[in-house]
Amino acid sequence: MLLEMKDISISYGKVSAVRNLSLNVPEGGIVTIIGGNGAGKTSILRAMSGMVPLAGGEIHFDGSRIDGLTSDRIVAKGMAHVPEGRRVFPDMTVEENLRTGAFLRRDKDGVENDLEKVFQRFVRLRERRRQLAKTMSGGEQQMLAIGRALMSAPKLLLMDEPSMGLAPVIVEEIAVIIEEINAQGLSVVLVEQNAELALELANHAYVLETGNLALEGPADELHDNEHVRAAYLGI
Amino acid sequence: MDLLAQTGLNAVYAASYISLIAVGLVLIFGVMGVINFAHGELYMAGAYSVVLIYSDFQLPFMVAVAVGLLFVGCLGLLMERALFRPLKDNPLGGLVASIGFLMIMQALASMGFGVRMEHIPPVTQHVIEFSERVRLPLSRLYVIIAAVVLLTVLWVFLKKTRFGWALRAAAQDPEAAALQGISIKQTARIAMFIGAGLAGIAGALTAPLVSVNPHMGHSVIVTAFIVIIVGGVGSLEGAVIASVVYAIVHTFVTTFFDGVVADITGLSLMLLVLIVKPTGLFGSADRA
Repeated sequence: MLLEMKDISISYGKVSAVRNLSLNVPEGGIVTIIGGNGAGKTSILRAMSGMVPLAGGEIHFDGSRIDGLTSDRIVAKGMAHVPEGRRVFPDMTVEENLRTGAFLRRDKDGVENDLEKVFQRFVRLRERRRQLAKTMSGGEQQMLAIGRALMSAPKLLLMDEPSMGLAPVIVEEIAVIIEEINAQGLSVVLVEQNAELALELANHAYVLETGNLALEGPADELHDNEHVRAAYLGI
Repeated sequence: MDLLAQTGLNAVYAASYISLIAVGLVLIFGVMGVINFAHGELYMAGAYSVVLIYSDFQLPFMVAVAVGLLFVGCLGLLMERALFRPLKDNPLGGLVASIGFLMIMQALASMGFGVRMEHIPPVTQHVIEFSERVRLPLSRLYVIIAAVVLLTVLWVFLKKTRFGWALRAAAQDPEAAALQGISIKQTARIAMFIGAGLAGIAGALTAPLVSVNPHMGHSVIVTAFIVIIVGGVGSLEGAVIASVVYAIVHTFVTTFFDGVVADITGLSLMLLVLIVKPTGLFGSADRA
């Protein structure tokens, strides 16, 4: 397993957000976490990348224990996180945003190479490389946030609601991109409210209900599960 | 015409040291998210470095300025470790702690040096005479040159270097910066060292030209606050431009009316900006 969460709990003060959850991400897989608002999906991703402390349990990533490390250390181990709401640096240019994603890398040629790849994948980012990030549309900012994460040459990509607030055409575009980068060997954890999209992309899915694991299984099985269809797919 | 030229020169001098102080304050606010009320006392500490090293120990002025920069930069590191890091989730707490630090600094200066104004021997008596009534003392020119050089170096650092980018990223979104592998502790230390060091060097450079006393930080911090509000809290470019605008207005009003009217004008300028554009001339809404 590339990433293992063992029996983790997360709480904010006295409020418990996630209870006794275990979750595995295999190498090369796409794992999705679906669930309603406030189910604890974002908290789990934030725990993975060290932005919230665990109240219990352990996280192992690529052979070492990472819970308790600060985010910058975890990034150094090969995890990249595309946060909810994109969070690009508004007053930096597109290119500066992308290069900031490669902050820890020392291999200059590799960075230039990856920058070129990002520009090939997201043509609009190349056109706007000197433009400030805040002047771009939501979809473009999402592309930038994904591109920035890819610039760290990660082993695992965490994506928090990449489809949120975007037009259907752009959501389709992002789905294709996720499939492409996964096909190149990158493992993905996808948190989505758009369960249809998430189950279509993922190999394995976890269904979360108010901090507890409700269901877990192969994504195509869950897609046909009656409870999931009724609660999340609206069928 | 001569009077205009002379007042213009005075304004350039004032803009130089005000912008050094204001830019440091903005940098600390941007990266740390706290308003450093003790910034004027960092300026004062820089001035007392010159009192000690240059007037008392009689070492060269440049040595005293360098010591001022490093010593006050280290005071900034101390503030980061002792005050702002433990209070990092509590911006109001950081502000209150900085007020406490201000009082400690003033008390230490009074105990160490007394409350009387220090006399610092002039560094140079040389004066550049453009005409009979337009003169620029060389010591003021040094301050102007130092400010231009330091601000240019800072600008290049922020725009062209890896750590400069990290600093800007951390100022715009600390959490997102951490997710790029940027250590927030490290950017906090860099910002505090540079921000405090700039105040220290401003104090050291102007020490022979102003009255050095334990309470000298007070008027400076008021000016710096006006400048960063006018420029837009969080904007370094705004701080520099607002420093120039403020210095021109203040110096000309002082010359043609008097200092009190100039202070009133400066504050009115701030109010006007707050009414017309509450985020300041160069500020963006999300930071204010």
